[in-house]
Amino acid sequence: MAKSILEVKGIKLAFGGVQAIDDCSFHIEEGTITALIGPNGAGKSTMVNVISGTYRPDEGHVILDGKDVTRMPNYVRAQHGLLRTFQISREFANLTVLENLLVVRQGQVGESLFGALFRAKRWQEQTKELVAEANDILNTFGLYRLRNEYAGNLSGGQKRLVELARAVMAKPRLLLLDEPMAGVTPALIERLGHHIVELNRELGVTFVLVEHNLDVVEKICSRVVVMALGKQLADGTLAELRSNQAVIDAYLGGGARERVGS
Amino acid sequence: MTLILGYVATLLVTFFTYNIFVIGLNIQFGYAGILNFTVITFMAFGAYFYAVFVMPHADNSSQVFYILGLHWPWPLAMLAGIVASGALGYLVGLIALKRLRSDYLAIVTLATGTLVYGLFGNNNKLFDGWSGLFNVNQPFQSVATNHPNEFSWIFVVFSGVVMLVVWLFANRLYASPLGRSMRAIREDQDVVDSFGKNSFKVRMLAMVIGSVIVGIGGVLTIQYIGALSPAGWTTGETFVVWAALLVGGRANNLGAIVGSLLVAVIFNEATRYIPQVPSHPNLIPNLRNVIIGGLVILSIWFRPQGVVPEKKASFLEVPLVDKYAQGFPGEEPGGTLSPAASEA
Repeated sequence: MAKSILEVKGIKLAFGGVQAIDDCSFHIEEGTITALIGPNGAGKSTMVNVISGTYRPDEGHVILDGKDVTRMPNYVRAQHGLLRTFQISREFANLTVLENLLVVRQGQVGESLFGALFRAKRWQEQTKELVAEANDILNTFGLYRLRNEYAGNLSGGQKRLVELARAVMAKPRLLLLDEPMAGVTPALIERLGHHIVELNRELGVTFVLVEHNLDVVEKICSRVVVMALGKQLADGTLAELRSNQAVIDAYLGGGARERVGS
Repeated sequence: MTLILGYVATLLVTFFTYNIFVIGLNIQFGYAGILNFTVITFMAFGAYFYAVFVMPHADNSSQVFYILGLHWPWPLAMLAGIVASGALGYLVGLIALKRLRSDYLAIVTLATGTLVYGLFGNNNKLFDGWSGLFNVNQPFQSVATNHPNEFSWIFVVFSGVVMLVVWLFANRLYASPLGRSMRAIREDQDVVDSFGKNSFKVRMLAMVIGSVIVGIGGVLTIQYIGALSPAGWTTGETFVVWAALLVGGRANNLGAIVGSLLVAVIFNEATRYIPQVPSHPNLIPNLRNVIIGGLVILSIWFRPQGVVPEKKASFLEVPLVDKYAQGFPGEEPGGTLSPAASEA
């Protein structure tokens, strides 16, 4: 078995009387693309927030690379290569597309006050290199022409691409995508899927996708984790899950059964 | 002639100090999105602490009371004033920046201002209460002895140089990766956190830097006038600084300068010298506030980004060949995603 890059163990989290996550455990293998599916209210987004460190669970552990990060604030986790995107595009609206990418690279010389003031030559040089790197990424995503546009002026689909491009600029090892395909055209879904697979193959980025579009899941994800009512219900390939009665009842049931072609 | 020259000098010093206030606020609000509704309190902190460090021990027989009275040389006292102002910024940041944003943060700053104002005004052992401090030692007194305006003009040069340093500092900060992080935090703090930057720390930096700069302006103010009482730093003064930033253009230090010229100098200071109407002594000052308020409304209505808007970032770059200049394979040309369409 490949090495687990991420493990969640016995996570419990309640909001008031709502038990959003109720003793949920699973693990993610390094270098894979895993889908996290489940009906609305299953706790998928909450789980993404727990993994990324936005929420602290009431119980349980998040283990990144064999290291317990449960008590680590989100920005420290991100420094370890655990990055995420958001369900709704959250670009830096009044920064240009290029700046959106530049800002997320960690460890720039000019990020400390001392560096910003007294090592200007060094950060100017570094920025030049980063601009070249960012332009390359933007070109891959077809956003090169828009690099000097304010990100807030882009269309919904373009913002989705900026989100992914920005995440790539931050050099993730594990990237959590919270519904990256929500509200985009089929043509763009195709392209986003293509980019994800390419990033996985070429840069070795491990992906966890929260996704409702099972066609996409089938195409790009090697493994699927199903959540329902805050628990991990099953995992395996989508083909295996199609014959799993619990999964069918909880999620695939009704019309969806025919859609996935079982 | 002497009178006019003295007046011009005063206007220039006012212009420079307001520039410094507005740049300080610009770093907090324009860069990092921190709503500081008590700018003037930081000015007062800088001024008062400069005063009590530079003045000799309080002579209680004259019924003037204040703390410290260390009689330090003025450059050291200046530093003390600036540090005090920065420390207040740090304290407010500790209380407010960790948990609060936007409006709630604004409320905390407003409350801080009211608290400090009430405390300093009502407690006459601290900074002599409502009567305030006067006869504060001014710099350059030993050299400026020949002519009544000599001090004023030396001070014009001094405050101009200080302003220039602040301006260069603020612009370098803006262009640096740290400044970019601040602007990203202004746009969306959570996202900056989720990309591995400690946004609390960056916001705290902006808060303290801004407070320090406003404190510098405060020290200059009391150095020039030689006196300060709570009547000189009411909440209304904060909004003159805000008006200058909003009218001039936030997140652009040139806008800060244009704004302080328009609002702080032309509308606020220059109109002080319009002759009073004897039967209505408050008419002119009230009209001034009305006009400044109107100016803010007009500028937000017609030019929300200010007279000099934030500059779009541009970088020296090696042009690339656009891989998708013709749109994307499998997508209609001119579809929503093709870059060509969005440029049209």
